[in-house]
Amino acid sequence: MSPDGLEKTAVEARPPVLAPGHTYASITDKISSIVLLQKTKRGWWFGFAVAFTLFMVLNFAVGYLMLMGVGIWGINIPIAWGFAIVNFVWWIGIGHAGTLISAFLLLMRQAWRQSINRFAEAMTLFAVASAGMFPLLHMGRPWLFYWLMPYPDTMGTWPQFRSPLVWDVFAVSTYGTISLLFWFVGLLPDLATLRDRASNRLAQITYGFLAMGWRGSARHWQRYEMAYLLLAGLATPLVVSVHTVVSFDFTIAVVPGWHSTIFPPYFVAGAIYSGFAMVLTLAIPLRQFYGLEDFITLRHLENMAKILLATGLIVAYGYVMETFMAFYSGSTYDRSMIMNRMTGPYAPVYWLLITGNIAIPLTALWSAKIRRNVAALFVISLIVQMGMWLERFVIVVTSLHRDFMPSAWGMYYPTIWDWATFAGSIGLFLTLFFLFIRFLPMISIFEMRGLVHQVKEEKA
Amino acid sequence: MSTAHVHNPDLTAPTVVKTIGQRSLVVGVIFSVIAVVGASAQPTVFFRGYLLGFMAWMGVALGSMAVLMLRHMTGGGWGMVIRRIMGAAMRTLPFMALLFVPILFGLPRLYVWARPLESITDKHLREHLQEITKSYLTVNGFILRAIVYFAIWNALSFLLTKWSREQDRPGGRDNSARFKAVSGPGLILYGLTISFAAIDWVMSLDPSWISTIYGLLVLAGQVLSAICFAVVVERILVRYRPMSEMLKPDYVHDHGKLMLTFVMVWAYFEFSQWLIIWAGNLPEEITWYMRRLNGGWGYIGLFLVVFHFAVPFVLLLSRPFKRDVTRLVWLAIWLIVMRYLDIFWNIEPNFSNTLTVTWADVVVPIAMGGLWLAYFFRNLGSMPLLPAYDLDAKEILEPAHE
Repeated sequence: MSPDGLEKTAVEARPPVLAPGHTYASITDKISSIVLLQKTKRGWWFGFAVAFTLFMVLNFAVGYLMLMGVGIWGINIPIAWGFAIVNFVWWIGIGHAGTLISAFLLLMRQAWRQSINRFAEAMTLFAVASAGMFPLLHMGRPWLFYWLMPYPDTMGTWPQFRSPLVWDVFAVSTYGTISLLFWFVGLLPDLATLRDRASNRLAQITYGFLAMGWRGSARHWQRYEMAYLLLAGLATPLVVSVHTVVSFDFTIAVVPGWHSTIFPPYFVAGAIYSGFAMVLTLAIPLRQFYGLEDFITLRHLENMAKILLATGLIVAYGYVMETFMAFYSGSTYDRSMIMNRMTGPYAPVYWLLITGNIAIPLTALWSAKIRRNVAALFVISLIVQMGMWLERFVIVVTSLHRDFMPSAWGMYYPTIWDWATFAGSIGLFLTLFFLFIRFLPMISIFEMRGLVHQVKEEKA
Repeated sequence: MSTAHVHNPDLTAPTVVKTIGQRSLVVGVIFSVIAVVGASAQPTVFFRGYLLGFMAWMGVALGSMAVLMLRHMTGGGWGMVIRRIMGAAMRTLPFMALLFVPILFGLPRLYVWARPLESITDKHLREHLQEITKSYLTVNGFILRAIVYFAIWNALSFLLTKWSREQDRPGGRDNSARFKAVSGPGLILYGLTISFAAIDWVMSLDPSWISTIYGLLVLAGQVLSAICFAVVVERILVRYRPMSEMLKPDYVHDHGKLMLTFVMVWAYFEFSQWLIIWAGNLPEEITWYMRRLNGGWGYIGLFLVVFHFAVPFVLLLSRPFKRDVTRLVWLAIWLIVMRYLDIFWNIEPNFSNTLTVTWADVVVPIAMGGLWLAYFFRNLGSMPLLPAYDLDAKEILEPAHE
C-alpha cells in the first residue's frame, strides 16, 4: 500500500474486520453449527443455571412485592425514587448501544458493525425488557399500568401530558417495538438458513414458521434491504430521543442536582458509554467460548474501546460543567448539593463513581495497547458499568435526600428486596441472552457473507 | 524516493483568492473607519456591536480548527479536500487574539460585573455579584483566562500548520500519527476552553443566569459556522483549478450531511435548554428567556426556529441538494447569516428590553469580517490547496471512478 516508500504503519497495523481465509460456506457452517450441530456446551449449562437462579430470585422478589407493596423497598419520603429508577435508567441506557450499532452505524456505512450487531440488538431488547419492568413495579399497583395510556374510560382519568413520566411511556414502548421489529426483520434471512439446514423436524418447523416464507429471491432481498434501511432510519433518532426523555424525568423538576440543562446530551452519552461497555462484556467471553475470534476481531474491540473513550469524555465534561456551574451560579442550594455529593453521607459512592467512570477508564483507554488487550478491556467494561450504575444512584438518591429544607432531609438504605430485584433483573437479562445464543445465530450469517465479498473487492 | 504522483498538478490557489482578499480589505478598511468614527460618538453602542462581530467571526475561525482536528482523527476525503481552507481560517487565530484586546477597554460598558458594585441599583443583582466578583468574574481573571484560551488555540494551530506545511514537500515522513496525537487532546482542550470562553464572554453578560449546556451550544454553532464557511469557499474555488478537479460530489454530499447533523445538534441543544428552563420556571433562569421572548425579541427567536432549523433541515434532507455545491452554497451563506442572528439574539437582549438594532450591530461585524476575510484569503493563497505529500492526498488527486 506504500509504493512511494512512505510509512503507513498506523493504518496497516490495524487488525482486519474479518480474519482472512473465510468463504461463504465456512461462515455459514461456523455460525449455524453453534445452534444446530454442536452439543450444548457444559459452560452454557453452567451459565444458564446461574442466570436462571437469579431470574428465580427476581420472580420471588416481585411476587413478594405484589403481596406486600413497595414498602418492602428502602424508598421513603423524600427519597421516593430508589433502586427502581436507578435500575430503570441503567438498563435503558445499556440498550442504546445496540441500537447505535445496528442502526446508526448502518446508516454511516461502517462495515465493522456486521459481526456484532445481531447480539447487540438482542442485548437491547433484553435490556429494554429489564428496564421497562421497573417503573411498572415502582407504581405500586402494576396491574393498573394501562392507566398510563390515554384511553376514554368511565373514571375520567387522563394522563398528564406535561409530565415527562408520560413521555417515558411512549418513548420506551416505541423503543421496545422498533427494537423488536428491527431485530426480527434482520433475523429473517438467517432463520431461513437455519430452516434449510436443520435436520430435526421440530427445528425445521419452528425456524420455517419464523422465517415467514423467506426464499431469498431477488425481490425478497430488494424489499428486505428497503425495509431494513427504513427501520434503521426510524431507530436512529430513538437512540437520542429515548434517553433525552429519560433525562427530562429529572431536569423538568427544580431539585438541585436534577435541574441542569446539560442533562439531555450528557445522559445520551452516558447511555452509549454503559451500553458499549455491556457489548464488550458480552462479546469478549462469547468470542472466546465459541471460537469466534475470526469474526469479532481485535478491530471490533478496539473500535468499541474508542467509542467508550469518546463518550466517557463527554460524560466527564458533564461532571465538570455541573460542578463549575454550582459554584459559579452563587446558588446556596446548588453549591450544597455538590458539596453534599463530595463530602456528605454518600460521598464514598460519589468517589467510587468518579473512579469507575473517569479515573480508571479514561486514563487506561487512551493507550492503544490497552485498547487491544482483551483481558484489560473486559475488566474496564465491568468497571464502567459499575460506574454508570453508581452515577444514576448519585443522581437519584443524593439529589433527593437533601433538597431545600433540612427538616425534610432523609436517608435511603436499600433493603434486601432492592438488591434481590436488581440482581434478579440481571438474571432475567442473562437468561434471555443465554437462550438467544443457544437458539438463534448470534452473528448475522448473511451479513458476514456480504463482508467476505466486500473484503475481496477491497483487495482487488 | 520515487514519487507516487506521476502527474503532479499545480496545487496553488487560483489568483482569484488574491482579488477577493484585496476587495475584502477595502471593505474592511472603509467600514473600520466608519466604526471608529461611530465609536468615538457612541462608545457603548460600538462595544456591543464589537462583541457580536467578534463572536461571529471567532466561530468560523475556531470552528474550522475543530473540524480540522476532527478530520485528523477520522480521516476521509471530505476533510482532505477542505483541509487547507480550514487551515487558513484557523491561522487567523493570532488576528482574533489581537481583535480581542479592544474588548478589554469596553469591559464596564459590556459586563455588569466589571462595574463598581455601588453603581448597581438592583439589590438582588448586587447581592449576587458581591461574591462572584471577588472570586471568578474579576477583570484580572477575565484577562488571564483569555490569555490561556488564546495560548492554547494558537499553540494547536501552530503545530497543525507546521506539520501540514511539511507535507507540501517530498521526502517528509508520514505525519498522520502526529496529527492524531495532537488532535485527540486538542479536541478535548477545544471543548473545555470554548465552554469557559463562552461563559466569560457571553454568558456572563447576564451574571445571574446559568445554563450548563451553554458551552456545548456555542460549540455546535461554531462547528456549523465553519462547515458552512468551508462550503462557501469551496464553491468559489471550484470554478478554477485545482479545486475543480479535487471536489467530487461525494465530498460535497458529506459536507451537506455535516451541515444537516450540526443543524440538528444545534436545534437539539437549543430545544433542551429551552424546555428545561421553561418547565423549571425559576426566577434566576426564566428571566433570560423572558427578555428574549418579549419586547419584539421573540420574533427573532421564532425566526431562528424556522430559518435556523426547520427550513434548512427540510432542505438538507434532499440528496440531490446536498450533492450540488452550486445549490448547497446558498443555504451555507444563509446559515452563516443565521449564526450571526443567533449570536445577536444571545447578546443584544442583555442591553435592551425591546428589539433594537444599532448601526454598530451591522457596521462592526462587516468591518471585522472584511479584515478577517482579507487575512483568511492571504493565508489561503500562501499554501497549496492540498498537501500533496500526505498519503490521503492520492485519493483526492485520482480521477473519479464513477
